[in-house]
Amino acid sequence: MHVHELNPKRTAITLLIFTAVIIVGLITLKSPRLKFEQDVNKTLEMIALDEGYVYPYEIADVIEGKADTVLLVDLRNTFEFAKGNIPGSENISSVELLNEDNIERLNDLKNKDVCVVVYANNQLEANGPWMILRQLGFDNVKLLLGGYDYYKQWEGKLADSYGDDAFLRGAPKYDYKELANSTKVAGSENTPKRSTIKIARKKKTSVAEGGC
Amino acid sequence: MNKNYIYLTLLMLILSGGLFFLPDRDNTKYSNPEDLMWSIVQPTRFVSTDAIAKMIIENDPTLELIDVRAADEYGGFSLQNALNMPLDSIVSDNYQEYLGIDGMNTVFFSNDDIKADQAWVIAKRLGFDNVYVMKGGLNCWMSTIIKPLEPEETASSEAFELYSFRKGASIYFTGNNIESSSESKKTTLNITRKKKQSVAEGGC
Repeated sequence: MHVHELNPKRTAITLLIFTAVIIVGLITLKSPRLKFEQDVNKTLEMIALDEGYVYPYEIADVIEGKADTVLLVDLRNTFEFAKGNIPGSENISSVELLNEDNIERLNDLKNKDVCVVVYANNQLEANGPWMILRQLGFDNVKLLLGGYDYYKQWEGKLADSYGDDAFLRGAPKYDYKELANSTKVAGSENTPKRSTIKIARKKKTSVAEGGC
Repeated sequence: MNKNYIYLTLLMLILSGGLFFLPDRDNTKYSNPEDLMWSIVQPTRFVSTDAIAKMIIENDPTLELIDVRAADEYGGFSLQNALNMPLDSIVSDNYQEYLGIDGMNTVFFSNDDIKADQAWVIAKRLGFDNVYVMKGGLNCWMSTIIKPLEPEETASSEAFELYSFRKGASIYFTGNNIESSSESKKTTLNITRKKKQSVAEGGC
């Protein structure tokens, strides 16, 4: 004989509790605050394209205040920002980038079609935060190549940096094969050999012209 | 038979039917954006070329080097025992089994560190742990390990120790001795100095 049959109401009570637990579970179930919107394959495509990057000479107009559809965002900490920054830039440090109000602000900027150009001291520092924002679906976020270090070097004559490609990364600086196999490796006297890899140059434009 | 049992069964069936309507969710092993951002703002993912050189020389079995450059660049030159996993095909199934092996430390490298860092972000998003980036990439490898610069005479003793390690490593990797014009002078210098970072140490 089943225990339940001694008290038929008991089954009903259990049933009620059971449904109540499931309903409460469904109501309190919340989706994560932030989700990756961009597919990993799309991300790989995006980082290989030119479209997500801004060349240093392209922001010359922005600094002069000619473009209001572009916002420079400094991802370094407040201390570094205070020591020196690109004129017209706003400081949102990487650590706080995903805070609720900053995400709200970024959403707002995205809806207004404002192009957000993020930078840090160099490309490497800003690479991660930029990739995250892109993967979260902020397609209006671009990465400033060269970063603040490069800007500092060309301060005041940024537009003239067209023609200079020192900010480009990824090319080999040496002939690795030769260096690693040469019978005689000289010390510091040997000047590094520049590789002959040609990098296709982007047409001279300004972000100010076309927005994003 | 108690009618309640029938109701109970029916309720269970209806509820389980609801599972079919649940939206597709990403596998839970994927990291969430906040965690990823947290690991991005920390520099712990970077490994110096010196540390890598040491691990290669000591035949560290936990080291897994991954060259994320294109196949032809990999064919030209790469580090010892490095696997080639071009960045654009890193998510393909052929390569997934090489990532996230228990007890292995995966180190990405490219010509410098941008591509390797991008590969790192992708790998991290896919939920792989123990992935690292070789700071400065092959350019730094060449300028620190293969062709180390002699520290200035006024540099700290640590800088000289590092230099002698690099010289040794260079011989190990190329089989050649580095010619040094003023080596005899260096040996007499043996003053302990304040700990100070030198250009030669930092490198890239």
